[in-house]
Amino acid sequence: MEGWLSGKKKVSKKSLNSRSEAGQESVARATAEELRELYFFMRLAREWDWRFERLVRLGAVSKWYSSVGNEATTVAAATAIEAGDALATLHRDSGAILRYYLDPARLFPDVFSPLEGRKLACSDPRELLYRLACQMLGKRDGFTSGLERSYHYSLLREEDGILHLGMISHLGAMIPVAAGVALALKQRGSDRVVINFIGDGGTSTGDFHEGLNMAAVLRVPLVLIIENNGYAFSTPASEQYAAASLADRGAAYGIPGVRVDGNDPLEVLDRVSTAVARARKGGGPTLVEAMLGRMRGHSEGDDSLQLLPEEERKRYEEEDPLLRFEEELLTKKVVTRAYIDDITGRCSQLLLEIVDRALASKDPDPADATRGLNAR
Amino acid sequence: MHDKGPGTKYIEAISRALRDEMSADPDVFLMGQDIGHYGGAFKATRGFIEDFGRERVVNTPVAESGMIGMAVGAALLGRRPVVEMQFADFISCGFNQVVNIAAKMSWRTGRNLPLVIRCPTGGGVGVGAFHSQCLEAWFLHVPGLKVVAPAWPSDAYGLLRAAIRDPDPVLYFEHKYLYRRIEEPLPVDRSADDGILPLGLARVEREGHHVTVIAYGWMVHKALEAASMVATEGVSTEVIDLRSLAPLDENAIVASARKTGKVLIVHEATLTGGFGGELAARIQEKAFEYLDGPIRRLAYPDTPVPYHKDLEAACLPSVDGIAQAIRELERW
Repeated sequence: MEGWLSGKKKVSKKSLNSRSEAGQESVARATAEELRELYFFMRLAREWDWRFERLVRLGAVSKWYSSVGNEATTVAAATAIEAGDALATLHRDSGAILRYYLDPARLFPDVFSPLEGRKLACSDPRELLYRLACQMLGKRDGFTSGLERSYHYSLLREEDGILHLGMISHLGAMIPVAAGVALALKQRGSDRVVINFIGDGGTSTGDFHEGLNMAAVLRVPLVLIIENNGYAFSTPASEQYAAASLADRGAAYGIPGVRVDGNDPLEVLDRVSTAVARARKGGGPTLVEAMLGRMRGHSEGDDSLQLLPEEERKRYEEEDPLLRFEEELLTKKVVTRAYIDDITGRCSQLLLEIVDRALASKDPDPADATRGLNAR
Repeated sequence: MHDKGPGTKYIEAISRALRDEMSADPDVFLMGQDIGHYGGAFKATRGFIEDFGRERVVNTPVAESGMIGMAVGAALLGRRPVVEMQFADFISCGFNQVVNIAAKMSWRTGRNLPLVIRCPTGGGVGVGAFHSQCLEAWFLHVPGLKVVAPAWPSDAYGLLRAAIRDPDPVLYFEHKYLYRRIEEPLPVDRSADDGILPLGLARVEREGHHVTVIAYGWMVHKALEAASMVATEGVSTEVIDLRSLAPLDENAIVASARKTGKVLIVHEATLTGGFGGELAARIQEKAFEYLDGPIRRLAYPDTPVPYHKDLEAACLPSVDGIAQAIRELERW
């Protein structure tokens, strides 16, 4: 079986020097503090997924869809927006959710200081993390109190700057909804924007077309990011679409379509920031295709990853966006090994505490099984 | 058909309800195909874009799923979208957005989802299988949706205004056959809340004591004609107009069933899996010991809507057919 990158633009392991022009500009612009924040959230997201992957093996959660390998794209994309903007996520976007929800300066004030001019959600980060963990576990303190599974929730707290829209299992269906949120933001006369993720499989659904076409026609502030890891469950991209590039579809809708190295947080940040700025100014939607590796199967415990040739899997491990970024920051002397160890330890410890607290928390009351619906 | 006096036509009542709610609440806006300068396939929004502008009268591409999905997104942020299906039949193209996104959104988020989908429904106007269907039963099976089906201009007006003000998604089945065939005076002072009706209340259209006929939409008018017909033969028929199918006014139905002991349910939708089955089940659960005969259903046969008027007429529940069923029940 051929790897998904064969015959297509190859995303190779890059050093700082070989990064695309966009990425290089982004490197030049980013301050050391910003780079360290990006790294922190990528590490936190990785630890988050590792924690839950372990819980699957222990039987404490029934299913887990891992975000391992998506962190550069998700964290960087969410870094391009701020409080008051909206985020619409799927099941591999823990990096975007954590970045969007949490103020690192409030989480670890001894490590991070508030970034000047950046508006972040103003909720208590530990409490939010706890509730997020409860949501993953179906606990009463989860955002849906056990009604909805894992990332199928929404958190709409405009007063805190959070407008987070969660998926349903029909993934493409969220695109028109995200476009509608963008429409409402535009109708209000605000300059807020929406970032919406979709996978390579989701691009085959009718809602991808209807949502993106309508967003383009109505010029709503939407940035649609395809996380293209080459596989939808087990189906390779070659059996999903015939086009050379999904980004090319942008032209068909009359909007910019850009392809980025999804393993490079700085290139993603640069391109998504451009798209966000365009949307803020009334320029309408942008389609971004982030090229990623497939580091995990569709869900933990299925054998879909086994279908990939050994060599291809090995390459994705080598291109691990977190390790690559870590190496880069070390080379650039933005961080030291001791700093990385410290951050990793903090993330791991924080999530151990939070998730343990969530595991020990109350289950929902069966009497609440039919509550929550207005219309009957 | 029996008119309730000269005044406003059914379609005009819908148009006025839209206009009055848009004037009353700046968050109300419209989405639909050809609703801009063309004024909509049935002209319900004629003159709206001129009066309210493109921001509030959003003329959309041909994309039911896209429209309904976008309306949901806007409603989540507190807007009150009213989406027009050009014909109810086309809602199948947006089915997932209705049953999985809109219906479950308040349950998933704890937020209101004020969304109205207008569905020009039903047959009798010779437009074939894809412009004539009565599809309400699809949605009555889905928790989280409200479904209304007015029979009179005053109800079309009052229920549409109420639907727009409602916190939940409402599917509003307006009957095409009634659009320009029936008139009724509407309240004069429309700027106030005059004429706004609560969702979930049936109405006894005609009191009687031998047989109860339960209907909605166009079939209410046929039931009333049939009731007049059998009245001359000494049969007293009670006619109940459901008006709202979800929420359902179970009390009104059960009370009437207990009173007459004989129930005929009439709907234009096809028989199998139609709402009549649900109504019959509820009545026998709540009024079994009062029943003096089987609960009868008159509905469309399980077939697509044929094109030729004679073929269509052969399928539609008729006044004669309803009258005959009433007579049979009365004799039971």
